[in-house]
Amino acid sequence: MKKTIQSIVLMVIISSSIVACTKSDTATVLPVTAVTVKDIPADTVVGLSAQGAPITNGKYTFYSLERNTIVPNSDSATNKWDIAFMATRIITNGGTSGSGLGGAFVYTGLFDGLTTIPTDSVFKTDNAPTSYAITTGSGKGWYNYDGLTNLITPLAGRVLVIRTASGKYAKMEVLCYYKGGVTLSASASDADKLNKQRYYTFRFAYQPNGTKTF
Amino acid sequence: MVFAQVKVVNDTLQMQGDSLVVTANRSERKLSNITVPVNIINARQIQQTGALRLTDILKEQPGLTMTSGFGAGVQLQGLNPDYTIILINGEPLVGRTAGVLDLNRIALGNIKKIEIVKGPSSSLYGSEAMAGVINIITDANTSIPVQASLRYGTYQTLDAGINNAIATKSLFYQGFYNYFSTDGYSIRPNSSSRVTTPIQRYSVNQQIKINLSDNTNLSFGVRFTDEKIKNDISVNNGGATITSSGNENNTDQNYTISLNQRYSNSLKTSFRGYFTEYNAKQDLVTLSGDPYYDLLNHRFQRVENQTDWNARKNLNILFGAGAVWEGVKSTRYDSEKVRKNNSIQYGFTQVEYTPIQKLILIGGVRFDKNETYASAFSPKLSALYKVNEKHKIKLSIGQGFKAPDFRQIYLDFTNAAAGGYSVFGTAQAQEVINQLVQKGQIGALYDSYYKLKVLKPEYSTGVHLSWDFEPNANNLFSVQFFRNDINNLIQVQQVGAYATGAQIFSYLNIGRAFTQGIEVEVKHKINNHLIVSGGYQYLETGDKDQMDQIKAGKVYTRDANGYSKVLTVSDYVGLPNNSKHKAQFKINYYHTNGLFANLRIMYRSKWAVNNTNGNEVFDNGDEFANGFASVHTSIGKDYKNGFSAQIGCDNISNYVDAANLPNLPGRTFYATIKYQIFHKQ
Repeated sequence: MKKTIQSIVLMVIISSSIVACTKSDTATVLPVTAVTVKDIPADTVVGLSAQGAPITNGKYTFYSLERNTIVPNSDSATNKWDIAFMATRIITNGGTSGSGLGGAFVYTGLFDGLTTIPTDSVFKTDNAPTSYAITTGSGKGWYNYDGLTNLITPLAGRVLVIRTASGKYAKMEVLCYYKGGVTLSASASDADKLNKQRYYTFRFAYQPNGTKTF
Repeated sequence: MVFAQVKVVNDTLQMQGDSLVVTANRSERKLSNITVPVNIINARQIQQTGALRLTDILKEQPGLTMTSGFGAGVQLQGLNPDYTIILINGEPLVGRTAGVLDLNRIALGNIKKIEIVKGPSSSLYGSEAMAGVINIITDANTSIPVQASLRYGTYQTLDAGINNAIATKSLFYQGFYNYFSTDGYSIRPNSSSRVTTPIQRYSVNQQIKINLSDNTNLSFGVRFTDEKIKNDISVNNGGATITSSGNENNTDQNYTISLNQRYSNSLKTSFRGYFTEYNAKQDLVTLSGDPYYDLLNHRFQRVENQTDWNARKNLNILFGAGAVWEGVKSTRYDSEKVRKNNSIQYGFTQVEYTPIQKLILIGGVRFDKNETYASAFSPKLSALYKVNEKHKIKLSIGQGFKAPDFRQIYLDFTNAAAGGYSVFGTAQAQEVINQLVQKGQIGALYDSYYKLKVLKPEYSTGVHLSWDFEPNANNLFSVQFFRNDINNLIQVQQVGAYATGAQIFSYLNIGRAFTQGIEVEVKHKINNHLIVSGGYQYLETGDKDQMDQIKAGKVYTRDANGYSKVLTVSDYVGLPNNSKHKAQFKINYYHTNGLFANLRIMYRSKWAVNNTNGNEVFDNGDEFANGFASVHTSIGKDYKNGFSAQIGCDNISNYVDAANLPNLPGRTFYATIKYQIFHKQ
């Protein structure tokens, strides 16, 4: 048992030293890998009012792309988070939204096709409540809302290019807005449409070396 | 004793060529001389399929698809219900909701025949005759003085009708009374809301034709329909379900008068007057006690004169002119108290020329001058070439149009509940938005706002080429190629935004689309008792602007992992709600002793219903309704004493799809008895 642990520790050390070596040897060309994150809740529905309107807590879910983890709400005033979700709104840690260097823009194209952030691109910052770096509204930013079916679908071919709280770069693509990572069918029950919405599935690639290449 | 009914030939095949068609040329012609694609449904077919409402019979015709949403509309060769005009004895029905005219309004009990003309016929009928014309023909001159029928079926569906007629040398009268009611049905499990709600409908028709002299006759017609629908509806609004209950009341009245004068064997003229009013009222209360009231009132008045001149033996010239005054009141406009009006003046002419016996050429043109939108010019050319007794080739090219509807001009709608977005019709969009600018309520105006102008009609150029082959009296084969190119499609476009970010929409002539396909019809008479027939339609549709974008690689879709990829043209499926393949197969049995039976199978392949993969085009990654086949049968007997009895079963295989086919109930049964008193000869 002890041996196993030792060998794991050893392996970790070896592998991290390999990473470290590679990093120091070739500063900019390390390919970053894409990670898919599933079912991040974004102010989900917790009940219904007497009039039948959905009730939520009205709170963002904060996320660190650097550490690939949810950040507790108590750290909302820090630079520990990069993006945050509340319903269809995605904010970045900068501008009126946070203390960091965060910003973003919506790139039209393919996630894999975006290997270098174009030099002429302009990162926007949040200026609540009138404008956000990631444009809000159906068909304008990352999603489309169908008034007939009441379904939200992420627009295909949209990459959210993010500048993190610490000024590094990441790209992300929202894949789904519903729990389980599958957009509901138009004929799904109203209860499902209400309760399974506001769960983000997205993939992202974070470039830790500060360059604009992925 | 001889019964008039006995004269009705059982064989639907043989009577085709000699039957008269009035819709295609605006003047009666033998079907064998018609230059455009026409289908005729006669009274006997209607009776034997057990059809009660217009929807029941149209859904079994080749090339037609019934749509749901805002009532049951008809899609013809891939074009939406807005593009087909529905006439009763040549006069248009009005009262469309979101472009759809609910064909359940029309009871079939007194109908002599239905003519379906495919391809643009706007040169004769004006707006909406873009995909085709469906003309429902009743006739005051009937040989049956009294007929009563009673039908009862699943979901407590009751249909009772009485026809009475008087025919003398100089006066013909026909009356028709119909009562229909159903409890409706719910095909969603565990749901109290019914897909088809309880309905009660009354219809009354009265027609009088008086022969003032050998050359002059005068006709009057009145048609009245009253429909009460008990409505318990659930609307999902921003995630919340709002349940309302109440009543919907729709009435439809039509009054016609026509004076027909024959001056000589080669010259006749007719004056026609028409008034119709459709009134739809929804009076609902939500569960929380909020009232919901919706009103649509459409009035349409028309006077028209048409003259037919047989200039030479091989040359017929027809010309006419008319004027329309119409107006709509609606709660969806700025004030429901003010009627929004339009007036139209129009003139048309058509020349029918037979240079040689084998060839008939028809050219026609119509001009519509409108008060509230741009004028329309609709030309048409068609030809029939009878290669020999067995082969016929038809070619028609025409331009049809559809006028902008009142909602596109006058809508003034702000949805306070769903984020406060607004839709303004073009007549007031600029004015209203200007006022909002002065009040400082506008956040942004888009380029599209500056492009707002008087709407033009939507245009379609249609080409139809068909080949009819009748090798002998027992076989009939026809194949038809069609293509429709639609320009100036009126589409909703965002023109700006409120300071709050809420969207502002209006209408612009921006879209371009096409439909094309092949239709095949086959009939084969196996023996004196048995006829089989079949129809098939292959259909392709597309939005041309979307296709240009796809070809340029600017449209994305998602792969199996949900990752975006570039959409290819081969994955594009065209316009929603269109099936690529449709087919019908029917077997009809007749016996001289009056026994009849039939089996009808209808098939429709899958169709796109919802855009689920995050682009604005319909592709293979979207949500489709499953293809399906429905099977129907009926059997009955006409007795010589005037009685007839019939039982039937619709949708034998019990196919249901509550979300996509709300108008298709599960398996239903019915039984009908009918009694006719015939004229003795």
